[in-house]
Amino acid sequence: MNVEKRHFTCVTCPVGCEVDVELRGGNIVSIKGNRCEKIKEFVVQELKEPMRVLTTTVRIEGAKWAMLPVRSDKPIPKRLFLQAVGELANIDLKAPVHISDVIIKDIAGSGANIVATRTMERS
Amino acid sequence: MVRQAHHERDYILNLGMRMQADVTVIGSGPAGLVAAIEASRSGAKDVILLEREEELGGILKQCIHNGFGLEQFKKDYTGPEYAERLIDEIRKTEVRCFLNTMVTGVSANRTVTAVNSEDGVFQVEAKSVVLAMGCRERARGSINIPGTRPAGVLTAGTAQRLVNIEGFLPGKEVVILGSGDIGLIMARRLTLEGARVRGVYEIMNYPGGLKRNIVQCLNDFNIPLYLSHTVTEIQGRERVEGVVVSQVDEKMQPIQGSEKFLQCDTLLLSVGLIPENELSKGAGVELSRATNGPVTAETMETSVPGIFSCGNVSTVFDLVDYVAQTGMSAGRNAARFVAGDWKENGGSVEVLAGENVRVVFPQRYCFRDELTLYVRPAKPIEKPVTLSIAPIEMNIKRLYARPNEMIRLKVDRKKLEKVTEPIQVSIKER
Ligand SMILES: Cc1cc2nc3c(=O)[nH]c(=O)nc-3n(C[C@H](O)[C@H](O)[C@H](O)COP(=O)(O)OP(=O)(O)OC[C@H]3O[C@@H](n4cnc5c(N)ncnc54)[C@H](O)[C@@H]3O)c2cc1C
Repeated sequence: MNVEKRHFTCVTCPVGCEVDVELRGGNIVSIKGNRCEKIKEFVVQELKEPMRVLTTTVRIEGAKWAMLPVRSDKPIPKRLFLQAVGELANIDLKAPVHISDVIIKDIAGSGANIVATRTMERS
Repeated sequence: MVRQAHHERDYILNLGMRMQADVTVIGSGPAGLVAAIEASRSGAKDVILLEREEELGGILKQCIHNGFGLEQFKKDYTGPEYAERLIDEIRKTEVRCFLNTMVTGVSANRTVTAVNSEDGVFQVEAKSVVLAMGCRERARGSINIPGTRPAGVLTAGTAQRLVNIEGFLPGKEVVILGSGDIGLIMARRLTLEGARVRGVYEIMNYPGGLKRNIVQCLNDFNIPLYLSHTVTEIQGRERVEGVVVSQVDEKMQPIQGSEKFLQCDTLLLSVGLIPENELSKGAGVELSRATNGPVTAETMETSVPGIFSCGNVSTVFDLVDYVAQTGMSAGRNAARFVAGDWKENGGSVEVLAGENVRVVFPQRYCFRDELTLYVRPAKPIEKPVTLSIAPIEMNIKRLYARPNEMIRLKVDRKKLEKVTEPIQVSIKER
């Protein structure tokens, strides 16, 4: 079987290792250029379904600021980002909110929850 | 409310005009928060933190993306989460925080002048001062694009604040000039909010921001990055209607005939950050030409005794972990200074940027602490390199050197004990 060569930049941490990967029939034969061991997991996932943490904001009422920053509590498939943001546009939220409070469960059917990333008191 | 209710002491209230402190910290970004916490934990009694905004946390509050604190906390925090963690920590200390309080001057004898609406103008006489005012973005005035001056031209950081905190989308069709991290992050952010980002144009032949941000902010969303390109004209009367982009040659001069018109209603500038240095200048601290921030020792002390600086006010760091580390050092050493643990010692030597090094931080070594060097390469070298530290013959091998990735390394105190001449850091191809 032919060896396929692919290039990846790991986004697990700010180092951003750039690696050359050799694949045979979709299986990893070799990885070169990484500085830590997390790379394998990253490449396997990237081949299967790229996953990212979603960070965005939702409108909040009764707080000092108009927007509350939120995140997914674990990585979700990248292709669900726009759907997730769409779901978040339609929610009603009122202060106070505490950091880590769940804003929406199972966002876009991903199994991840959207949680607040800061505390916002009522003002 | 100007003051935070915790740890308030009455005598401050009726003074109004003049107060005393062991350590005064200016700015409550990660650098200032960590410095104040560390000064307090290291035994400084009266630690005062002055912040001009209405909340603690600095720039982190608008950096809603993740990627903060991987080193310091071993967690992948967003900016607000990282800030809240530090704010929780500072609440457990005796540090007194003043919000909505603008510092207008610092003198060489460590008197800080500040103003807020409750106390009016007041002064804090401190035994030591920590500068932690962060940095600001270069604006249009500092890059000179010809054309009209319509609405719709703003810095990436301003757009970040509008979108993430105030909830306004600054435009629908966006061109980004400069590939600094804030511009990259905003390319993704605006796309998620429904804007169309037409491309990121970078005058250099290498990107300004971190590689991971190119991947997860541009590539993930099919936003093109054009290297060796710049905006040569802005069009539109009231509002931006479009920009002209051109390719540039090796001397960064626009190439005739390469002009292309792009329709857009917004131009975001992400063309660099400079340390906020008005107060530093006023205090008479020596400034470095390479960083625009104070010339700093490994203890974070500036050229003025008892005035320390840390975080992006000293030099623009890529990662909050580095910022926090300098804050920790500044806070601990400010407390040492106050305690009188600052006897004259063996003098100091300069730390110099040699071949292929644009910035080295700190710029002085005073034989008090171990030396953590932060090195920004002058140009990209995509080959194995050796980073050498003279005269101690320390050589570190790396796979490449890139200006968008600061290199950090620690040098053991023992190795430096006998050094009498300047320490020089250089990068050579192997
Ligand atoms: C858009 C963006 C994205 C980033 N992304 C990442 C990332 O993914 N991962 C990472 O590790 N790092 C990231 N960074 C870097 C990191 O966030 C910064 O380096 C760090 O927050 C700087 O901290 P600081 O305390 O030096 O400055 P700041 O956070 O800027 O704090 C300075 C404070 O001083 C106050 N101040 C200034 N002047 C005065 C005055 N005269 N009186 C009173 N107060 C004053 C300001 O109001 C402010 O609160 C990012 C930075 C930016 C801008």
